[in-house]
Amino acid sequence: MLIWSAKGSRGAPSLRALPFLFLVAALLGMLPLLHSHGLQSDPVMASEPPHHYPAVISGNEPGDITAAPLGVSQEISPLPNHSSPGHAKNRKAFPVLGIDYTHVRIPFEISLWILLACLMKLGFHVIPSVSSIVPESCLLIVVGLLVGGLIKGVGESPPILRSDIFFLFLLPPIILDAGYFLPLRQFTENLGTILIFAVVGTLWNAFFLGGLMYAVCQISGTGLNDIGLLANLLFGSIISAVDPVAVLAVFEEIHINELLHILVFGESLLNDAVTVVLYHLFEEFANFEQVTVTDIILGFLSFFVVSLGGVFVGVIYGVIAAFTSRFTSHIRVIEPLFVFLYSYMAYLSAELFHLSGIMALIASGVVMRPYVEANISHKSHTTIKYFLKMWSSVSETLIFIFLGVSTVAGRHYWNWTFIISTLIFCLIARVLGVLGLTWFINKFRIVKLTPKDQFIIAYGGLRGAIAFSLGYLLDYEHFGMRDMFLTAIITVIFFTVFVQGMTIRPLVDLLAVKKKQETKRSINEEIHTQFLDHLLTGIEDICGHYGHHHWKDKLNRFNKKYVKKCLIAGERSKEPQLIAFYHKMEMKQAIELVESGGLGKIPSAISTVSMQNINPKALPVKRILPALSKDKEEEIRKILRNNLQKTRQRLRSYNRHTLVADPYEEAWNQMLLRRQKARQLEQKINNYLTVPAHKLDSPTMSRARIGSDPLAYEPKSDSGNLPIITVDPASPQSPESVDLVNEELKGTSCLPPSPEEDEEGLVMRVKDPSSPGTDDVFTPGAGDSPSNQRIMRCLSDPGPQPEPEEGEPFIPKGK
Amino acid sequence: MGCQSSHPSAIPELDEIMLETGFSQASVVRLYDRFQALDKEQKGYLSKYDLQGIGELAVNPLGDRIINAFFKEGEDLTDFRSFIRVLAHFRPVEEGKSNETGRPEPMNSRLRKLQFAFQLYDQDSDGKISRDEMLQVLRLMVGIQVTDEQLVCIAERTIQEADQDGDGAISFEEFATSVEKLNVEQRMSLRLLK
Repeated sequence: MLIWSAKGSRGAPSLRALPFLFLVAALLGMLPLLHSHGLQSDPVMASEPPHHYPAVISGNEPGDITAAPLGVSQEISPLPNHSSPGHAKNRKAFPVLGIDYTHVRIPFEISLWILLACLMKLGFHVIPSVSSIVPESCLLIVVGLLVGGLIKGVGESPPILRSDIFFLFLLPPIILDAGYFLPLRQFTENLGTILIFAVVGTLWNAFFLGGLMYAVCQISGTGLNDIGLLANLLFGSIISAVDPVAVLAVFEEIHINELLHILVFGESLLNDAVTVVLYHLFEEFANFEQVTVTDIILGFLSFFVVSLGGVFVGVIYGVIAAFTSRFTSHIRVIEPLFVFLYSYMAYLSAELFHLSGIMALIASGVVMRPYVEANISHKSHTTIKYFLKMWSSVSETLIFIFLGVSTVAGRHYWNWTFIISTLIFCLIARVLGVLGLTWFINKFRIVKLTPKDQFIIAYGGLRGAIAFSLGYLLDYEHFGMRDMFLTAIITVIFFTVFVQGMTIRPLVDLLAVKKKQETKRSINEEIHTQFLDHLLTGIEDICGHYGHHHWKDKLNRFNKKYVKKCLIAGERSKEPQLIAFYHKMEMKQAIELVESGGLGKIPSAISTVSMQNINPKALPVKRILPALSKDKEEEIRKILRNNLQKTRQRLRSYNRHTLVADPYEEAWNQMLLRRQKARQLEQKINNYLTVPAHKLDSPTMSRARIGSDPLAYEPKSDSGNLPIITVDPASPQSPESVDLVNEELKGTSCLPPSPEEDEEGLVMRVKDPSSPGTDDVFTPGAGDSPSNQRIMRCLSDPGPQPEPEEGEPFIPKGK
Repeated sequence: MGCQSSHPSAIPELDEIMLETGFSQASVVRLYDRFQALDKEQKGYLSKYDLQGIGELAVNPLGDRIINAFFKEGEDLTDFRSFIRVLAHFRPVEEGKSNETGRPEPMNSRLRKLQFAFQLYDQDSDGKISRDEMLQVLRLMVGIQVTDEQLVCIAERTIQEADQDGDGAISFEEFATSVEKLNVEQRMSLRLLK
């Protein structure tokens, strides 16, 4: 308890967390108590005769004493609640309240651990100061250490992270989450690089490290001579694999660009095949007297079998899942289950045959995703996303906590030479490997990897729980030095996670800041940069992405022609995304309309205030550059920087804690809303032309509208098949909307003439509809007032009508 | 839709195209394949509808403008020659090649790239980017949180910054000056089009 109170006394924000910590401590304190209760009640259960009854009471007391002082209620009557035989000499009272811990022990403890993990996660977000410096994974390991120490201090033996639990229950959710949301385009574009890093890099690491450690063992006379070459190679192969869990945990917090993220992460995923093969290989070889060439060749072959077999299994399950989802339109609620179960089965099936389960999982997720998403409902899609994020979050937290606990619990054998040299050689191997491979890869890459990229790739090679679990699987008979191996593995894991994890963010900032300071761009440059970016992206899309790779086009064509027809239910196989997104967008807009009065409130109050201070009417029309104050210029720059729509290449980085909206969908939404706003801009001027006295369907109005935007107000008759969501308050048909326009017009004061046009403000001008007039922008108070917003929405069309012959059914034709 | 790549002899005017645009034969062949893949009805021409069918282009803020850049004024169809002429602007600039006098300005020179970009700003082709045109572009590119007044201020400021002769609009020379520091050659080059 001292530990917890010491932690709590650190400061005001920590005080808020104090109840959390006490609660956690209470929960954990219950654990050993109940555990000992369980142990005590066992002999009780075995003995039926009631004259053992006094023994029961006395037996329970030591249990009470060993319990933590908190949270134990003494009113629990220590009566066994199994029914005593009716012929008892001393008849007990009917047990109103009893305690039977063994009955619920396992689920209870599991739930308690998971609860601890979640509370810890919560706690870290409540105390932001600590988690901004130290990555969450480190904090969790520390918590694990503390919990382990607590449990040990109480006298119990803390649980160790058992390998089967880790591989069967904790790892799959994380990998599935990663595989399902894998950004496929970046992945396939960089697949060559990733494969080289994963395969060649891991092999290099394993052999280099194994060889050097063998040399160290031979050289030093500290009792390490008995560790053979094979054992060392095995150790090397265990420790050399970059761990996806650790990488994900650290990288998501530092927001590096997509390329590096996908490189390191992809490498960590794909090196599982290599690790599995090497591990089994060396484990088997350690039993042999002699390793022949045949064995080596077989090992080489098994690599291909393991990796390709894993992928094959994954693809099969993915296809089955996609096919199943085609028929689930009547039972929507179990759709997510299919995704999870099929993926999990893929993992287990691969593990069954000693194939690479991780690759199977990734393959099934990647294969099933496009088809499943086309088939399932929007809600199921959200459910899948949420569940995957939830499970992977919890899994990751549990893994790190258990790592900490296992460190305390396990038996350790510390050998300075071995461990320190392991650490050093690991780092050296990684750096050399990355440098060498990058030099080789850059010959073939179009976008070269800069030294800064190389540094991050090398530095981001974190080791994690997979290495620990693999080490734990070693048995003592063949590997007597298992404890030493485990200690070394844990040391390396700690070092990479703590030191590298903590310092990578400042280092990245340091390296990035140097570049940023060079560019202090003018507003023009900002805008033009973004403009050119979009332009380039557009041209790139027109040209098609893949250079001379016809096979990718062929794959796409094959996909469209045959596969989609099989796996996607009926009518949705043609461009389902457009329809779905349009529906979603309409839905969102309708909800927004109903909920709020204002569209797009500016997030920061500062920019609102200062921007409105710049009265547009009062802007001097000087010929020289007016001295806009530094602040205002910064405002503009900040607004531009935050609000210019980013092209694909700079998407938000992967984040474990939030649901990242599908970038394509987001781009769609943004674009449609933006077009709408642009049209509103036009229509705002064009609708000041006529004074609407009656309903919109009057010929004057319709002519005015149609004149400005031909698609806007087609006759409503053929709107039957299109789900147009009309919301009453803002529906164009409602008369009150028309009156609002009237009122606004009446309230509008005289507009000052803009320097470019010398006519009066409200004159009808035959204008090209695509260019907005200048008058509207000078309307005073026409900013965020709710009525004005509503007008703008009223005047905009309810939604574009489908025009099949145009070929753009859901894109408003305004430009 | 042919799955095979086209034979160079199948491409009309191949030599003139290579001379005019500077593409290698492999690039021309590849772009011809792409042209044919986009031309779903095998008309031999591309219509706006074909280009609008590209999904990623639809979410591009400048999507419509880019598409329109491929088509001449008022026309609705473009042939392969015009298609590749536009794409020639995005060919990476060769390093180390001296500008031979007497030869016409290559299509992927910095000047031509800038002219193409300017064309996309200047919709009414009057040689200037007026404040309305800047406002339009900004509206397209900027998120919905930014209000119209803010946009107007930004557009005003942009024009003021770049405008040197004080006519309230950005001419091509002023545009070129304002993007001097930007690495236009790289920003407007598509490495695939080597």
